[in-house]
Order: sequence, then structure tokens, then C-alpha cells
Amino acid sequence: MRAALLCVLVLFCTTVAQARDLEQLAQQPRWQALLHINPGATLRDRQRSYVDDADFFLAADGAANPVSELASTVEALKQEAAPARCRFPARYRFVAEALGWREAEPFAHCAEYQEWRRSVHAKRAVLVFPASYLNSPSSMFGHTLLRLDQGDDDGAVWLSWAINFGAVTTEQDNSLFYIYRGLAGGYPGRFNLVPYVQKIQQYSNMESRDIWEYTLKLDQSQIDWMIDHLWELKDINFDYYFFDENCSFRLLELIQVARPQSGLLDELRFAELPVNTVRALDQRGLVTERHYRPSKEVELAALRDRLDDQEQALARRLAADPAVAESDAFQSRPPRRQAMMARTAYSYVRFVNRKAARTEDIAGRSFALLTLVNRLPSVEDPELPDKAPPESGHGSQMLAASGGQRGSDDFGEVSYRLTYHDLLDNRRGFLDGAQIQGLGITLRSTESGAARLEELDLVSIRSLSPRGRFSKPLSWYVEGGLERAWAGRRRLTRYVQGGAGGSWRSGPWQPYLLASVRAENNSDFGPLITPGGGAEAGMLYHAGRWQWQLSSAGHYFSNDVYRHRSTLAVQYALAREHGLRASLEREGWRGDGETEFKVQWRWYFD
Amino acid sequence: MKKVLLAAALLGASVSAQAVAPGGPGCGWGNLIFEGKSGMPVHLLATIVNGTSGNATFGMTSGTNGCDTNGALTYSGESLLSMNGVLEEVAQDMATGEGEALTALSVSIGVSGDDRAYFNSVMHENFASIFPRQDVSAGEVMQQITAVMQNDQKLAKYV
Repeated sequence: MRAALLCVLVLFCTTVAQARDLEQLAQQPRWQALLHINPGATLRDRQRSYVDDADFFLAADGAANPVSELASTVEALKQEAAPARCRFPARYRFVAEALGWREAEPFAHCAEYQEWRRSVHAKRAVLVFPASYLNSPSSMFGHTLLRLDQGDDDGAVWLSWAINFGAVTTEQDNSLFYIYRGLAGGYPGRFNLVPYVQKIQQYSNMESRDIWEYTLKLDQSQIDWMIDHLWELKDINFDYYFFDENCSFRLLELIQVARPQSGLLDELRFAELPVNTVRALDQRGLVTERHYRPSKEVELAALRDRLDDQEQALARRLAADPAVAESDAFQSRPPRRQAMMARTAYSYVRFVNRKAARTEDIAGRSFALLTLVNRLPSVEDPELPDKAPPESGHGSQMLAASGGQRGSDDFGEVSYRLTYHDLLDNRRGFLDGAQIQGLGITLRSTESGAARLEELDLVSIRSLSPRGRFSKPLSWYVEGGLERAWAGRRRLTRYVQGGAGGSWRSGPWQPYLLASVRAENNSDFGPLITPGGGAEAGMLYHAGRWQWQLSSAGHYFSNDVYRHRSTLAVQYALAREHGLRASLEREGWRGDGETEFKVQWRWYFD
Repeated sequence: MKKVLLAAALLGASVSAQAVAPGGPGCGWGNLIFEGKSGMPVHLLATIVNGTSGNATFGMTSGTNGCDTNGALTYSGESLLSMNGVLEEVAQDMATGEGEALTALSVSIGVSGDDRAYFNSVMHENFASIFPRQDVSAGEVMQQITAVMQNDQKLAKYV
């Protein structure tokens, strides 16, 4: 009897001790990372798992209770040849290390996992950041993915894998619905694994996006943690939210599995911008190397720029008709110059037809030009212009204070902009002629009155991409919000406006010309919405820390109102996160006008 | 021979299939150079959420699409060459004598680091025989590469 009691007591005590051990173990950062528990990094699902998929959990309350999930996991994995081991190799490794399980071949029965692991292995992990490109606002925040290199040989990245997190969408969805669901979390997000070469094709060739590649400071064991955990995420659904729980955020979670002490998810964020992900990794010393992969468009521009004007014209003709290679004009050039022209012509033909289906004409010219390149002497690749990496650009949010005079009234202003960049903001790390602004607000206070809303920018996107002999992109803009304009007196108007046209570039100078339409609502105009049409002409000047803009835009409305606005503005980049801007503006309407002068200090952060 | 199989996998050519049905369908090895990219629409909105449509791939070597390879260098049972534009990149690198696509090819064939520059120069010199026509297919290109290597003293050991 006494012996039996003792026995029960011992058993009870061991169970209690084990439970306490499990509780402590479940608090370990790596277990939390393996379950994707939100440590307070975003608002939704705090202290719960981000994973939105019952298949991922072994305990019924596993998503909310890491301890019971751990207990169920231990139970499911402990038997030799347990099927759960094949689903959760990283969890097995965690539990086995913590509890001292020692088996030589714990995954001997997992044929599928072993086969996958044989083809997916890596010596090096690289964060890949396809930067934004002109003419596609949806790309302007960029994207991030992870690349797994099989060796540390730079040349063999075409054999690497890319880990990509994205929303799983259906073809049938129409566009508006698509945007709504993408932003609001209506799509499940999943990890997938594709050949990196497909990503190069997609970004560098098709979308003309530069790609920045950052080698991560992860050792072999950490990389293996990541890959084993990736297997656990096969066909597992997360929620996808455009602003915070997006591609970049999920990659941080993966890196957290590799390095649980990195602290990458410690701070609360409302949005995870890909460029901030790069910064976060860089600041924590997790980036060892940076590599720039220019887009095909940038390569073509570099090939073009080393030709003189006559050679450029000749290359353009050669692209249209490879027989030009037999002409005297071409033959009279030295062989090396001929080779440079042939390379340019070939790149041009491939670039302009990058989205076209194969035709005999295109294939024929491409082949003839490539054969010509091969026949002529080899020339070195052209030097690429020095590009500042995107993480060296200014912060995504902005606060500004300004003072000025309108008519005879002095005023003071404060402005805030959630995101991201306008034509005059510090240009380092950004594309010239590209603007994307979301949620900007300006309050103005004058001597004679209290502070009031001067401007509310909902969205403002501009893409002024230069046209030249080798490419003819469209320039365009679209914007909408509230602003003060003349309608009987100065009033707050609600408007949507957009336009299209062309832009050109010569050295630092970039002129542009756009036709535009505007729909406006204000308390003076009779109809609810008054349409108007007009034009805008302007000139940008980009050089070093300076950006200048001279522009003039006018609109004629259906109720016979005419209004125009001319601006001369300049910004000087004081430092990465500080800029000084001055502007002179003349707003005019039939018979009269007003002039405004303003000086503004802009502070960028986050 | 194993190395050639690997390279064949890389270029999307199945060596055995080549003998049986050259130019036929299969794992992309019938792809022509300058194939064009009409199959890859850039969905403006898809860019927003980096969406993938349909089944997300997970790097599985399924081997269900007719490619008789050991899968080591095929991706998802899909040959590299059946992906848009790869044969074209190989051609371009051979024409100029260097580039990442050519390096990937030499790595997959197993050419050692010391011989890579030499491999590149041989491919450069033999561009015209490897790419004889504008409608050459991946399978033919692979055969020609093998033939060129067999005829070269230093490179014959790799085939």
C-alpha cells in the first residue's frame, strides 16, 4: 500500500515537472517562431499564430496555445517512424535537441521529404529586392523574396531557388474586387518555391525592374532551420494583408526561425515596406554583401550611351534591318564600334519584343544580329551608371513645416505624408521622374484666421519616363483629394485629375508635356461634378542634391470657368532625411490672380 | 554520360526522347530559340499582392510531364528551358563569350572552375554550329554542345 502510494506520488511529480519543462520550452523564441506566434509585431492576432490553417496545428487549441501545441507535437513525434516527423522536420529538430532524443536516421521513412531536401539545399541565403519601376504604380513599394544558393559561386545563381510569399488569387476575380480583397485580407497567402531564373525573367526582363540582392549572414545550421521549416509551410495558408502581413513581413518570420534572437519582430508596425525590411536587416548587421542586377532596360541604355549620335541612329536602323551591316556607313566604322552597335541593336530588338509572341521576322532579325555579334570582335560590357541602393533613400513618412505669403497674407503650415516620394524629394535611391504619394495632409494658419485644412492628398502618382530613340514610354499621372482653388473665392474643392503625354531627357533636363482632364466638386460650381480639360507643360532638372521643377497647368471647365497654375519649385537635399524646399506659385483665373511664396523644411522618417 | 543527362535536364532536353521524337512535345526541349513570351502576361494588379494564380509550386520534382531525367536539375519537374527566354540567354552568352546563363550551363555539365573560361571560349568559337538556324530547338542545341565537347581534347572528359 505504502509502496503504491509512493509510486503514484513519484509519477505525479514527474508529470508536474515535465509540464513545467514544456511550459518553459514553449516560451523559447525558436518555438514561438516555428509556430509564427505574433510577438506584438502587428495589431491583428497578438500572441496568436499568424497561420490561418488547421492543418498546421496538432492540438485543437494550437493556434492560441503554444504549450499545448508543444505537448501534442512531442506526443506525435516521439515514436520511431512517426508520420508527423515527415510533416514537421524543423519541429522534430527543436524537440529532439531540447529533450535529448538521439536517433541516427529520424527521417528514414520520409521519402518525399528526403527527395525534396535533396533538390532544395543551400549554402547561402540572399534577400532579393526587385525595386520599383516607372509606369507601374503597383510595383512602387517593391517586393522582397529570398534566394537559396546551392554554392557560394556567384555565377550559378541561375540554378538557385527563390522563396516567394504571395497571395493565392483566382483568375476570375475582376480588377476592383481584386484590389479590395488584396488590401483587406481576402486572399490566403502562401509560400512557394520557384526557380530564381523565373524571377529574373519576370522582374529584370519583363517588368524592367532593377534587382538588388543582399547576402544574409546565416550559417549552414541556420539556413537548414529555415529550409526545414519551409517544408512545414508547404500548402499552408496565412492571411495576406497588403500593408503589414505581406511578402516582406513573412520573410522576416522565416529569418526569425533561422535566428530567433535577431529581434526583427520586436517592434509594432502598421506597414512593412520592403525597403524597410532591407534596412532592418542591414541595421542589425545581417547583410554581408550587396549586388546590383540591372534590368534589361538599364543595360540597353548603357549600351546606347556609349555610342555617339550617328552610331545610335545606325544601330537603330540595323535593328530594323540587319542587312544594314553590309552598308558602307556601317562597314566604314572600326570593328570594335561595329560590335558595340550590333550589341545595342540586338538588345533593342529583344527589349521591344519582350512581351511579343514569336514571329519569323523578330526571330530572324534577332538571329541575324546575334550571329553578327558573334562574328565581330568581343567587346567588354558597358559600364553601368552608379546607382544608389534603395535602402539609402529617404524615409517613407514625412513631416514638414513651412512659412510663406499668399497675396498679402502671411501663413504657416504643417504637413504630414504617410508615404512616399514626390518629384522633388531627395532623389538618392529613387527613380527620377517617379512620384507616389498616399495620404498627405496640410493644415494652414494665417494671421487673420484659425488653422484650416489646406490640402488632403488621397493619392498622387506620376510617372514621367523619358522617350528616346530606343524606347517610347507613355508619361502619365493620376491624383485625387481635396485642395483649395479659386471658385468665386478660394474654396476647398474635391477633385480627381489625370493625364497622359510624353517626357524627354537630356542630361539633367527633363521636359514633359501632358494633356489632362479634371472632375471637380465645390460649393460654387452649379453641377455636382464639373468636368474640365486642359494641359500641363513643365521641365524638371535633376543634379546631385538639387531638384528643380518649372510647370504650368491650365484647365477649362464645362461651366466656362478657366483656371491655371504655374509653379517654380526647388529642393535641396540637406541630408538623407532632411530637405529644404522653396516654391513660387501663381494661380490665375479670368481677370485676376494670386501669387504665393513658400519655404518648407521637410523631415523624412521611418 | 550522367553529366550530359544533367545538362540535358537543364536545357530541357531528354536525351532518350531526342532519339525517339525530335521536335515533339515533351518537357520543353522542343522549344525554339526566341520563343517569345506571350505566355507570361504581366498582370498589373497581380503585382500588388505578388499573387500567384492557381496551385503554388513548391519545388517538387514531380516528373509527370514527360521529362525522363533524374530530376536533379529540373525545377518542379519542369525543365529550365521550357521557361521563357532561357535558351535565348544561353545563345546571347555564347555569342558574346560569357554570362550567367553560360556559367549555369557549365556548372550543370560539371565543368570545373579552372576549365570554365576555356569552356566559354570554345562555346563562343562554335556559336555558328551550335546555333545554325533561327528556329533551332533546345534539343538540337544540346546535341550540338555535346558534339562540340566530344571533339575537344580538354572538354571531352565531361561528356
